[in-house]
Amino acid sequence: MKPNKLRLFCSLLFLLATVGMLSSCGKPKGGQKLSGSARDTTLVVAMLGDADYLNPVIGSSVTSANISGLIYPSLLQSEFDTSTGLLNYLALEKSLRPVTNAEGARSPRGALAKSWSMAPDHRSITYILRSDARWEDGKPIVAGDFKFAYRMYGNPVIASPRQQYLAELLGAEKGAVDFDRAIETPNDTTLVFRFYKPVPEHLALFHTSLTPLPGHVWKEVKPQEFRESRINMRPVGSGPYRLAGWSRQQEVTLSSNPSCVLPKPGNIRRIMFRVVPDYTVRLTQLQTGAVDVVENVKPEDFGAIRKANPAIEVRTVGLRVFDYVGWSNIDHDWYHKTGKIRPHPIFGSPAVRVALTHAIDRESIIDGYLGSYGTICNTDISPSLKWAYDDTIKPHGYDPALAAKMLEREGWIPGPDGIRQKDGRKFSFTLYTNAGNDRRNYACVVIQQNLREIGIDCRIEMQESNVFFENLQSRKLDAWMAGWSIGLEIDPLDVWGSDLDKSRFNFTGYRNPRIEQLSELAKSKMRIEDARPYWVEYQQILHRDQPVTFLYWIRETHGFNRRILGSVLNISGTFYNIDDWTLKPSANAVP
Amino acid sequence: MATYILRRLLIAVPLVFGVLTLTFFIIRLAPGDPAAFFIQPGISPNVAEQIRQQYGLNDPLPVQYVKWLGNVLHGDFGRSFSRAQQPVLDVISEALPVTMTIAVLTLVANFVFGIVIGVISAVRQNGFLDRFLTVTALFFYSMPEFWFALMMIILFALKLPLFPVSGLNEVGAESYGPFGFFLDRIWHLALPVTVLSINGAAGIARYVRGSMLEVVRQDYIRTARAKGLSERVVIMKHALRNAMLPVVTLMGSSLPFIFSGALFIEVIFAFPGMGRVTVEAIFARDYPLIIANTFVSGTLIVLGNLLADVLYAVVDPRIKL
Repeated sequence: MKPNKLRLFCSLLFLLATVGMLSSCGKPKGGQKLSGSARDTTLVVAMLGDADYLNPVIGSSVTSANISGLIYPSLLQSEFDTSTGLLNYLALEKSLRPVTNAEGARSPRGALAKSWSMAPDHRSITYILRSDARWEDGKPIVAGDFKFAYRMYGNPVIASPRQQYLAELLGAEKGAVDFDRAIETPNDTTLVFRFYKPVPEHLALFHTSLTPLPGHVWKEVKPQEFRESRINMRPVGSGPYRLAGWSRQQEVTLSSNPSCVLPKPGNIRRIMFRVVPDYTVRLTQLQTGAVDVVENVKPEDFGAIRKANPAIEVRTVGLRVFDYVGWSNIDHDWYHKTGKIRPHPIFGSPAVRVALTHAIDRESIIDGYLGSYGTICNTDISPSLKWAYDDTIKPHGYDPALAAKMLEREGWIPGPDGIRQKDGRKFSFTLYTNAGNDRRNYACVVIQQNLREIGIDCRIEMQESNVFFENLQSRKLDAWMAGWSIGLEIDPLDVWGSDLDKSRFNFTGYRNPRIEQLSELAKSKMRIEDARPYWVEYQQILHRDQPVTFLYWIRETHGFNRRILGSVLNISGTFYNIDDWTLKPSANAVP
Repeated sequence: MATYILRRLLIAVPLVFGVLTLTFFIIRLAPGDPAAFFIQPGISPNVAEQIRQQYGLNDPLPVQYVKWLGNVLHGDFGRSFSRAQQPVLDVISEALPVTMTIAVLTLVANFVFGIVIGVISAVRQNGFLDRFLTVTALFFYSMPEFWFALMMIILFALKLPLFPVSGLNEVGAESYGPFGFFLDRIWHLALPVTVLSINGAAGIARYVRGSMLEVVRQDYIRTARAKGLSERVVIMKHALRNAMLPVVTLMGSSLPFIFSGALFIEVIFAFPGMGRVTVEAIFARDYPLIIANTFVSGTLIVLGNLLADVLYAVVDPRIKL
């Protein structure tokens, strides 16, 4: 070899070695060896971002909750009854309501509790636990594990996002839960929770069924080191899956847990959650079959996906998310300066807000963007919560003539430039929204057009999400477009409470004592169904006052590869029964 | 030269430190709150406050600064707010290998293709080949990378399924054995490196062409030709060496790129590299991670500039440092 060629050869060799060395640095740790076609026995789910903690106490993202739910056991199984919109709770030998035999009904065998009994005064609930459940390391799951976990949930140093669940436990009324009295464990299979006030049974079940932690694994960890502990990277659970590997910001790999009896090892051998930050790429991967599930596929892409790969189907879940246009009901500047309330000069009158709703063509926004995946929204109670939803409310239809007449009645008369005026003030404002959301962008433009037609000047401004949220919170915006994702328990006081310092999400400044009264009355009912009349009146008031213009409910849509069998989606989540799913080519590959 | 390097390094210390101090204050003055995620219905209002307390954000700004300074002087850049309290240096050391793999491959491809195209263009000045290469190079140079990347994915991963859409490895690549794993990794890197290097090589080609054209008009090239040297020797030995001088400085300034990562490529191809770390940290207002990133990139920019100056002196004996 000539020296020059030798040099070139050596350089190439060096380069390859460097790349090889660097590449192997990123090699996933802890992955299992696989034989045969790994893809046949692996379900791949694309996710937008990595899980934060695979620890039920501190995990805060939806991804974390989805994955933790597969690793950890749960006290009760919950199922969402789509015919009523009520949550049902199941223990091994007891259920809150009769079990539905509908598709996707949960097996109670996944529950740690054998049964429960609510005290007649509704001030305590006693669970009897099964004795055959074990953690992955072979240690039994005992009542003490729950007490231990609740101490962690309630520790202010750990700052669990779920500490609200402890709000009715003894001592919470004085600011700190008295764990010794609030949670008792007379023996390993008896668990008692005590409340400082009577709590309806469904709420008691909801709030006492937080996931336990293996006390023996965590007991040496100091609270201030809880978040940074290395144990977070190797969780000890007992669910249908266990953590097989976690390459941060790349993928989380779960493998079916053969020793699981809660209720059984997962059918699919491996589940891989891969981080794919870009939407277009997630979609392309779904089309090429590199991933099996992509959440939140946009309606405008359905056609292309189906055409590209007939093996892809679009699945929908219930209505949980809505967009709205918020109007400042009160003059926020005045409130910031003086602490006093006076109506907002433009949006302060309910009649003006109703007129605005009439002026906005919500149907055409839905037709133009969401198609059959959107439906008109009247209030913040979802049509999926059938037990509470008032279906007699007639939506404020698109009627610019009526809107103009209402505005004139309120004194807003068109000025020389065509823009309406009242007492020298123009009907002119800026509509703010967060940047990077195509749907809201589209809706904003339609709204701007609609309002211009009746002589209202609306400018649009997109803000970076953090900035937008901070402005919203500090009530600096007069008009904005945003959205809410509702919980399965109705609790609207954070959004509509009259005490503006306490109600952090009352961005509009809407104040109506009857709304608060109704919420309290509804929550005090020991049977949830008895609260319906209060929620019906609540919806009628919101519909009449239009503190915001509710735009549309969004049917969340997810892309699924048809090789997944047995999946049932509903409002409580895309991965509701993932441990029951199977994969077509390997449907018989159950371990 | 050693004293020169030492002097420059000493000057760099207060410079980097000043940059960090500025960053410290600027990001805290920017709107947004690291605990904002915890302000949502269903989460107790206390949580955001407890989180702020944990992060030490309730102290007055000067106190925070002094505490931070003390820690940094001990080499402790703190723990990430947004990434599960991982030490920020761990976060960076996990992301660096990924970024460096792509960057090293890209840089090599950039310079190899850039120099070859540049030389051909210069030698065939104003010929068909030169015009063709110039137009092609400008076409790619002016193309937005993220768009180009998406087009490449649609073409080579969706329409012609030759390459994977994204990710660093196939599902189950651990079972391929070390060599198989390595090949799989290279296969995954092919598209992103091509996208990055086509764009970069086009720029370098323009540099090389310009520099070459200047050199081939020099007297010593005429002399070399007059001596009867073959055209190949004239171009490769006499002209190219001299034409490389400005290109060498480009290498120095490419150093920060190696470590800072290419955001669009990382987002599109789902690589957990430095570009994503930086941008996600900014969106999450993850102060310690932002500062540590600034430290890494600030230091590298300073070192890159120093390297460029030193390289210049090394390749051009006329320059004394």
